Amino acid sequence: MTPRTATPRTVALRTLPWGTSGLGTQDHQSDMYVPAFRAHPGFTLVEAAADDLTAAIAETGAQVVSVCAPPGERADRIVEALRAGCHVLADKPMALDAADARRVEDAARETGLVCMPAHHHRFGAAVRSAGAALAAGRIGLPWNVQADFLVDGGDPCPQGELVNFGLYPVDVVLALTGRAVRRVHALPGRDPRRSTVLLLDHDHGLTSTITVGRLPGTTAPYGSVALHRYRISGSGGVMDVDATRPAAAVRTVLGTRAAWHADGTVGRMLTALHTAIVSGRPPEAGPADAVAALRVTDAAARSLALGTPVPLDPSED
Amino acid sequence: MESLSATVRVLVVGTGFIAAQHAAAIHAEPRLELAGVVDVEISAAAAASRANGGVPWYTDLGAALAETGADGCVVCTPNDTHAGIAERVAAAGAHLLIEKPLATDVAGARRAVEAFARAGRVLMPAHSHRHYDYALTVRDVIRSGELGDVDLVRLSILGGWIWPDWRGWMLDPSRSGGHALHNGVHLLDLVTWWTGDVPETVYARGRRQTAAELDIYDYLEMTVRFAGGAVAVCEMSRGHRPASYARRDVLVTGTGGLLSLPWDAESGTVTDESGTALLPPGGTDGFATQMAAWADAVTGAPAAVSGADGLLAVGMGVAAERSIATGLPVRVDDVVKEAA
Repeated sequence: MTPRTATPRTVALRTLPWGTSGLGTQDHQSDMYVPAFRAHPGFTLVEAAADDLTAAIAETGAQVVSVCAPPGERADRIVEALRAGCHVLADKPMALDAADARRVEDAARETGLVCMPAHHHRFGAAVRSAGAALAAGRIGLPWNVQADFLVDGGDPCPQGELVNFGLYPVDVVLALTGRAVRRVHALPGRDPRRSTVLLLDHDHGLTSTITVGRLPGTTAPYGSVALHRYRISGSGGVMDVDATRPAAAVRTVLGTRAAWHADGTVGRMLTALHTAIVSGRPPEAGPADAVAALRVTDAAARSLALGTPVPLDPSED
Repeated sequence: MESLSATVRVLVVGTGFIAAQHAAAIHAEPRLELAGVVDVEISAAAAASRANGGVPWYTDLGAALAETGADGCVVCTPNDTHAGIAERVAAAGAHLLIEKPLATDVAGARRAVEAFARAGRVLMPAHSHRHYDYALTVRDVIRSGELGDVDLVRLSILGGWIWPDWRGWMLDPSRSGGHALHNGVHLLDLVTWWTGDVPETVYARGRRQTAAELDIYDYLEMTVRFAGGAVAVCEMSRGHRPASYARRDVLVTGTGGLLSLPWDAESGTVTDESGTALLPPGGTDGFATQMAAWADAVTGAPAAVSGADGLLAVGMGVAAERSIATGLPVRVDDVVKEAA
């Protein structure tokens, strides 16, 4: 659980937000990360006057950089922050493609610093609980995962929702099962930029199917998640995981909203980031996870272009 | 009040598991009368006769048709016999309600369709799910336009009940056509009917989950891409665990919204020492609705499910089995055309 009250032993890491860009109109820095850092006792935000990242790090003595540089230069800024001695929270996507992400992976390995891609959905309480149950053998050997990640309304991503949302459920499936993907087939939705169906073949015969999309926008809260769920079938049973839980439903004259006291996915991710930094233990999500997810979405884009399944080379794992 | 002269006399052909439900539906339909039962096994035919008030029983279809002068047949025999029996029923000038699949291959389905076209009789494949409240609801909502143009359909029918033992013909792909033909056609037909669209390709993955020695895929995932742009992910499973598992789940997204029909949408749940399960839905009896629709067709209305629908479903099922074998998407049109 997140320590909600700072204790004398809590190390508040000096954290520099860098950039407010993202895919399309996204500003995850202002909308998600800065509020979560501010609320988290393990971090204290710093501001820099310098407009050069290395200089800003020197100016502020930052220990952590939250990088939301424009996607085209994001990997460069992450590497720059690592080389300057800072741990990094990297907005999703961490890089434009898997090859770009490998540069980040190399820099993180060389510096020994924590670089966490902001795949925050893998930290959700329901997902983590399911992952633990799976690893404990609760449903035996998993052989299939069916997943839906459908967002209701919001600004469409110009690069397409496969590149945007796709990484989240792909990362969750990989985090849940730990089985690498060997083959990717993708089918475009009616509007290929809005929705995609991913059909993945993993190690040990596991298959997964992931729908990713942005719905046109109903009366639900703008840009809210309409459906984020995982059904995992195993040799001994089945788990249904609604990743929007835990949540209480509050229905008022203003509409319906979900409420929950404890940290959401982003707050829980920051706790994991803090733990990795102060403990020196490997982070629960690192650059290799970004590479793995990007390899899948890269292959899905190729499959969409070709109309056939695309194999992934195990030697590149 | 129907006059007696309007009563359609019907034979039930094949007296296995599903025949009793068809017979009950015939008894419940005032326009139909059970004229007899037919089964190649004497004991089965006789038992079905006893269960149905002592109606005449036969082991030979030709004799049954000739002696009873039946106007129609409800056929629920093993799948590999469907096409041949359909041709014989057409030749006898009788109408037909036939269990799915219409045939185990496209050529057989085509022969059946052509035979009924020549005979001018009704051929209705028993894609029974079309007559269930849940499927009609999804169809109603899509047709109302509320969801806009359909983008994605998910239909999952999952169970843990494998057929009794190795002797079951359903486990023999040479008799059942494989699981995509045996049960898969239910889902392939439904999503095609729901979307009202033309299926272009099928990409399928299969799994022998209950036993490595199975010759069929007890878990099937069939992904259909339609010409109009919709995609449907259909899951059909007999391989889930626990064996008591039974779920049906529907999701439809469109350019105007979303329909979700979760597994517990149709009735309450009961929790006891064996866990939580769904109470039997208290809605309409789909088999009775199907039989009434067939009676409508026999008495002059358009068939709710046409022979062409059955043929297309067979083509999609064959495409699914072929896709599993090759690992590639298969064009439905290629499958349907190559058997022409």
